[in-house]
Amino acid sequence: MLSFLMRRLILSVAVVSAISVITFVLSHVAIDPAAGIAGDSATPADIALIRAQYGFDRPLAVQYLAYLGQIAQGDLGRSYLTRQPVADMILARAPVTATLAGLAILLALALAVPLGVLAALRPGSGVDRLALAIAVTGQAIPNFWAGLLLILLFGVTLGWLPISGSATWAHFVLPTITLGTFATPALMRLVRAGMIEVLEADYIRTARAMGLRERTILFRFALRPAILPVISLTAVQLGFMLGGSVVVESVFALQGLGYLAWQSMTRADMPVIQAIVLMVSLIYVGLMLLADALNAALDPRIRAAQ
Amino acid sequence: MFGRSRHLLLAAAIALPTALHAGPADNSLTIALGEELPGFDGYISTSRDGVVVTRHLFDMLIYRNPETFDYEPLLATAWRRIDDLTWEFDLRPGVTFHNGDAFTAEDVVWTLTTYADPATGARSQAAVSWIDRVEAVDELTVRIVSKEPFPAALEFVAGSLPIHPAAYAQEVGLEGFAQAPVGTGPYRLGEVRGGDFTLLRNEAYFEGGGKGTPAIDRIDVRLIPDTATRIAEILSGGVDWTWNVPADQIPQLDGLPHVTAELGTTMRTAMILLDGAGRANPDTPLADVRVRQAINHAIDREGIVAALVGGTGEVIHAPCYPLQFGCVSEAAVVYEFDPARARELLAEAGHADGFTLRMGSFRDRARAEAVQANLAAVGIRVEVEMLQARASFSSWREGQIDMWYGDWGSFSIADNSAAMGNFFDGSPNDGALDEEINALVAEAARIVDPDERLAAYAEAIRLATERAHWVPMHTIVMGYAYNAGLNFAAPVDEVPRFFLSSWN
Repeated sequence: MLSFLMRRLILSVAVVSAISVITFVLSHVAIDPAAGIAGDSATPADIALIRAQYGFDRPLAVQYLAYLGQIAQGDLGRSYLTRQPVADMILARAPVTATLAGLAILLALALAVPLGVLAALRPGSGVDRLALAIAVTGQAIPNFWAGLLLILLFGVTLGWLPISGSATWAHFVLPTITLGTFATPALMRLVRAGMIEVLEADYIRTARAMGLRERTILFRFALRPAILPVISLTAVQLGFMLGGSVVVESVFALQGLGYLAWQSMTRADMPVIQAIVLMVSLIYVGLMLLADALNAALDPRIRAAQ
Repeated sequence: MFGRSRHLLLAAAIALPTALHAGPADNSLTIALGEELPGFDGYISTSRDGVVVTRHLFDMLIYRNPETFDYEPLLATAWRRIDDLTWEFDLRPGVTFHNGDAFTAEDVVWTLTTYADPATGARSQAAVSWIDRVEAVDELTVRIVSKEPFPAALEFVAGSLPIHPAAYAQEVGLEGFAQAPVGTGPYRLGEVRGGDFTLLRNEAYFEGGGKGTPAIDRIDVRLIPDTATRIAEILSGGVDWTWNVPADQIPQLDGLPHVTAELGTTMRTAMILLDGAGRANPDTPLADVRVRQAINHAIDREGIVAALVGGTGEVIHAPCYPLQFGCVSEAAVVYEFDPARARELLAEAGHADGFTLRMGSFRDRARAEAVQANLAAVGIRVEVEMLQARASFSSWREGQIDMWYGDWGSFSIADNSAAMGNFFDGSPNDGALDEEINALVAEAARIVDPDERLAAYAEAIRLATERAHWVPMHTIVMGYAYNAGLNFAAPVDEVPRFFLSSWN
């Protein structure tokens, strides 16, 4: 178990390092950082001065090592535009994104588990077909489009829910539905497949033969083993949600991390973009590691296979 | 259990939105902007939305009336030219900043001296770099001395130089000031929630200035980056005012009884910059003046304006906004839409088989593709690269593209030194690097006599268009949508003034 986790950990560190190199190189090649800092009416002399001051004239590898040293000290740099520490900007936005992603994953599970179980009880039935239709539709509609349709219906036509902003909990309803329904289908398919497999297992037949109530069989004996893979997929989906939040937060004007990333891209604020990409990939890799560890802990076969 | 909580949720959701927004009932106004401000320092927040907000928080020494374009008193009550380099301003007595500090000459000296120093990092150096020094004559008289004769000085004084309170600003530092600004303006900053914030009417605002007396008590500024969401908020009445509404949405929105939507003229001009200097490609065909003239002939600007700009948009022929001082449109060489002539010119230049160019653009893909189609018709293949505004402009400034179909708002400065002066100057903006024109433009910015200035700019415009360094395209129109009960006038300088607005 320990060596399995060590191998995974080393792999994760390698992935994060690769991402940090890629984002660093891209953000220094895509746009001249000196021109970014200098502003719109700077002369070539101003830009040259800034290039020397900030050390942008050094080889890229040297700059990257300096950047790593900075990060090691917990310094993510300062925004070109606001001059605030990037770490402060990220911390201020993180709660909104965390709330949104958390609510959305809860909604996704609340929809996916009952639907998946219902579909598994009678494969090929009307309920199963309906669940499949929901899954395909949810996966096929792009986030921003679903968000706009919800805004039109609940915000404009019916006037029930606020359209944009994050002032009250009601503001989170539409974004949560938009983001949550996008994650539902994959989870639901997994619950359905797991349940169908488990329900055909010998011990369930034994339980039925013993005359246990169907509800007890379903929830005590079938759902628990069927739901194990769902846990790791949930962790992965949570990672996807951080990406999806860029779109959803911009559509609903929620001022979270995704929104900050979008704004920083439009104004070429490279230190902020770099820090967000690095942080999101860290979280993502962390969640994957967690999912692997959970799976390994719950299922000895995975440990053995490595 | 689930059923009951669902009913609660619905009931609460129905009750909430109406409580959130009141509008005329409590004399407040909710506006939606698309871009987050980096702070409230007018020298740092120089994006369009930033300019709009800082004009409410701060005052300049003088005010340019958006309708007459005349200068009117604001923090200064009178001003006079002392010599070619020096302007003197009599300051208004009895003005206080939002924190109660009295406004004096010391505040003007400190603010302008601080931001004129390049190390302070004002984002628009053109707005401050002309200042040599600022002197207090007495407590309520101040002199601004320019490095060289600078005829456009008053434009920048009225448009780009807000005055900060010296004592407070030094106490909190630049970053602190940008987050907790204190000015003399008609509104002061209230609560800030992330990118959203509230402006509260300055009850002690002085009388007799060009900005008048504000009517609306509270302005809630909402940050909504997505255009469709902003329009939905206007439809539902959650927001009273927004802008940057696409031209094709205006007629539909204006058809609704509770919404007014219109396209306003702006000082912003669109143009295609040509990299004749070969920064992107040392062997560029654009180095040949005949190729640049051919491109000018090949583009159907009348057609693009009629079909894709709309409103009061109009074709321009000179590389500046026609109402700017020194934008002598009559001096421009006019290139009629004539694809046959364009082909001839290309053939003369030895490019009968055409070639490929990369063009960057950002605001409107349809317009960029129209240009692409026009040029394809004469044999020039164009690869269009659509990016966000800043990234697109950067790719031009860094010499990564052959052409840039962008636009320029001249910082709302009604003087050609803010238009040609920013592009014919040998800076990264300058893709022509035409030393003769650059010398003329630099000289014109320093001539004090108005007639001589006009003559110098006319010559620069004639040369720039004869040599076809740009394709001057058209003016840009701005789409506004707002509550039909709001008194609002779309200003030509693209700086909405809510201190002039009121509810019917």
